[in-house]
Amino acid sequence: MVEGRPVPSYAGRPLLELVGIGKSFGRTAANRDVHLDVWPGEILGILGENGAGKSTLMNIIAGLLSPDVGKILLNGETVRFSSPRDAAAAGIGMVHQHFKLIGSLTVAENIALGDARWGRGMLRLTSLRKEVGALAATLGVAVDFDRRVDDLTVGEQQRVEILRALSRRPRLLILDEPTAVLTQDERLGLFRLIADLAERRMAVIIISHKLEDILENCRRVVVMRQGSVVDRAHLAGRNRADLVRMVVGEDLPAVVGSPERAVAAAPLITVENLTVRRANGTLAVDGASFALLSNEVLGVCGVDGNGQSELIQALTGMVQPASGRVHYHLQGVRDGWQDAAMLRRLGLCHIPEDRHRHAILADLPLTANYLMTHLGRREFNWRGWLRRRAVHDRVAAAISAFEVRAPGPHARMAELSGGNQQKFVLAREFACAPRIIVAAHPTRGLDVRTIAFVRRQLMRMRAEGAGILLLSADLQEIWEMADRVAVMAAGRIRGPVAVSETTLQDVGHWMTAR
Amino acid sequence: MKSVRGDLMLGVLILLSVAAVPALFILAAGKSPVAAYGALIGYTLATFNGFAEVVVHAIPLTLIGLGVAVAFRGGIFNIGGDGQLIVGAIASVAVAPWLGRMPVPLGLLCFLVVGFAGGGALGALVGWLRARFGANEIIVTIMLNYVALQLLTWVIRGPLQEPMRIFPQSFAIPATVELPVLVANSRIHAGLIVAVVATLVLFVVFRHTAYGFRLSVIGENRSVAPFAGINDRRTIVQTMLISGGLAGLAGAVEIAGIHHKLQDDFAGGYGLAAIAVALMARLNPLAVPFTALLFGVFYVGAGALQRDAGIPFPIVWIIEGTVIFAFLAYDALMHRATAPR
Ligand SMILES: Nc1ncnc2c1ncn2[C@@H]1O[C@H](COP(=O)(O)OP(=O)(O)OP(=O)(O)O)[C@@H](O)[C@H]1O
Ligand SMILES: [Mg+2]
Repeated sequence: MVEGRPVPSYAGRPLLELVGIGKSFGRTAANRDVHLDVWPGEILGILGENGAGKSTLMNIIAGLLSPDVGKILLNGETVRFSSPRDAAAAGIGMVHQHFKLIGSLTVAENIALGDARWGRGMLRLTSLRKEVGALAATLGVAVDFDRRVDDLTVGEQQRVEILRALSRRPRLLILDEPTAVLTQDERLGLFRLIADLAERRMAVIIISHKLEDILENCRRVVVMRQGSVVDRAHLAGRNRADLVRMVVGEDLPAVVGSPERAVAAAPLITVENLTVRRANGTLAVDGASFALLSNEVLGVCGVDGNGQSELIQALTGMVQPASGRVHYHLQGVRDGWQDAAMLRRLGLCHIPEDRHRHAILADLPLTANYLMTHLGRREFNWRGWLRRRAVHDRVAAAISAFEVRAPGPHARMAELSGGNQQKFVLAREFACAPRIIVAAHPTRGLDVRTIAFVRRQLMRMRAEGAGILLLSADLQEIWEMADRVAVMAAGRIRGPVAVSETTLQDVGHWMTAR
Repeated sequence: MKSVRGDLMLGVLILLSVAAVPALFILAAGKSPVAAYGALIGYTLATFNGFAEVVVHAIPLTLIGLGVAVAFRGGIFNIGGDGQLIVGAIASVAVAPWLGRMPVPLGLLCFLVVGFAGGGALGALVGWLRARFGANEIIVTIMLNYVALQLLTWVIRGPLQEPMRIFPQSFAIPATVELPVLVANSRIHAGLIVAVVATLVLFVVFRHTAYGFRLSVIGENRSVAPFAGINDRRTIVQTMLISGGLAGLAGAVEIAGIHHKLQDDFAGGYGLAAIAVALMARLNPLAVPFTALLFGVFYVGAGALQRDAGIPFPIVWIIEGTVIFAFLAYDALMHRATAPR
């Protein structure tokens, strides 16, 4: 718990007060009669299952959405924001679940955008670099201000998004799932800094599905379900299981432990001396050799930006390797490089790291989003002719199997909450009984119940003979699921070794070794 | 999709401002706006001759507009309609003497196919340059427009010149490859059928084929292509082939239906208007013929204004510009009001 830190004063008046906020999208009531108060110096946690309405509520506070009914009071005065700029002027900053960065601009330009301190016409980028660089140092993250955001991995984008919000020195900082793709160290660095700022009376709202984030850093928590606040509590004396019960309404069954291997494992992918270059020519993967076996979960960990993203892109047919060989032991495989569509037909599915960039079409309906990776199947594509009816039926089935909260197969992807988008991607990728699953942060943004569900699915497929390559920023997740673990550092791969024969400390050490 | 009522409101607002802004200019020119609009609308929509001419202009506008719509759907900006139209026309005229000996509908069919191929080849070249070298298709297509124009100037004074070698024009195409007149006492020719068929084909392609789907995927978000295993380079080349092909087809149709020979100014400068035609149709092929008719009104109305109301015809360009601006402005406003953020 938060020992040793001053207790926020719940005396006087709250910094922010929400009174009876309601917001509907068509027939979906995203927020219903929400009351909330945040005090100066407080770190408030918000929990709730996917689609509960957390992001909607925060977007209302940050001026991105306007409420249908209800009032927002800031320091006791009613405010009405018509844009995020208004909210920022009032001292409200937000780290969005869907990053609001502009891909074609550099990191420095993104941070400067809309912040008058760095100049309006000519940007004073040198002073920005100095000041934000110092901030990054206290956070313990490295930033390259000159890189284009399009070239950043999700983890790197997350850091920029956090830096941008913090650099504006808000009075109220909203963090919508800031830790989903951060490593343990980065996560701790972020919370250290936030605790410091809270001591200087900044108020913070944290949304997270990682219950530890809430448990270790917040004093109060608010729980939402189906648009309403269903519970609020002081966290003193509560544990993880209590929080699970508050969110889910019941106890969760324990995650299935890894059962012993039934079948002798056979290789599914063998990688020999694989070298991959980034678009700018730098070496991303430097001579990797390993095998993915059947009936196993192979965990890959590493500090973001050490080549694991490119390794995965090469294995899944998204980029051509510079040299080396990848062999897939799948029925019907041909020699030479295979693109993602061919690999999918052979039974390889991919849950990518950067959902928004690679895996979804935000403005198109779910049907199009589904068809996108199943275009090679006869069922949906008969000699170049689409069978829309079949797609529609499949999507309806996938939605209900994974409990995706969506108005129906024709809903646009952008209308889904972040966690439900991820569920949809999982449902789509698991749809054709894959033999090889390459999954990057598969449980990113999912609520506790869904995380358990997805892990069970993965373990079931593993038991049925699939090989799973699991990339995760969360070592805990790797330890719970993986049979073997490999570490990527500076483009080189270390391992894989059996999880039972190594320790978290060793792996953590390898991750930072140069 | 937006509500029907919203679209209707949009239409009414467009019409109102479209009437108001040019009226100021007409007043400034010392003429009566009422008389001017009377002449414009009266001739183009209420007389047989006027409306027939509108349809005649709408035919190439529809075909090129469909081509623009295909490309834009894939996120490719084909500004080269004029050049592709010219090259399509040159190609089909060049082979016309051989086609003339074929049985009647077959020769004509080949004539049109060659036009499509000519424009398509030029389009595919642009697509290839973009896919292979990342060349900007806007710049390339604009430059190729000039190249095509020069090519036309040369062929009608050189290899394709009429047998007497006096006039800067090509020989006339054989009568067997001409598109017959469809409506008596007008210039409306069977190219109308070609335009309607092309519209329907494109509608089916967009809605029901895997190619149309891939195109909308890469148009929506190019970076998903490698993840979904869509070969976006090939799709770009295919798309520019179809897009340029439709412009080339328009060229062949113009020759076979109206001009019957190449000459310096046969191309009519439909390329830029076709971009507006496609955008106002929201890239929906079924709407393209209707927006093409609207722009046909402007083309024909220009002459009518000058003749009947004594108003200099550039006023029509002001009206046209106002229509486009009004459309963009209200579209942006409607989007802001309805787009869930
Ligand atoms: N732009 C939109 N249009 C239509 N419906 C929307 C829109 N944004 C959100 N919704 C709906 O509102 C509900 C709440 O969504 P919200 O994003 O607030 O959930 P959340 O609690 O943040 O979930 P998650 O944990 O998955 O991020 C969902 O049912 C979602 O489908
Ligand atoms: Mg959310």
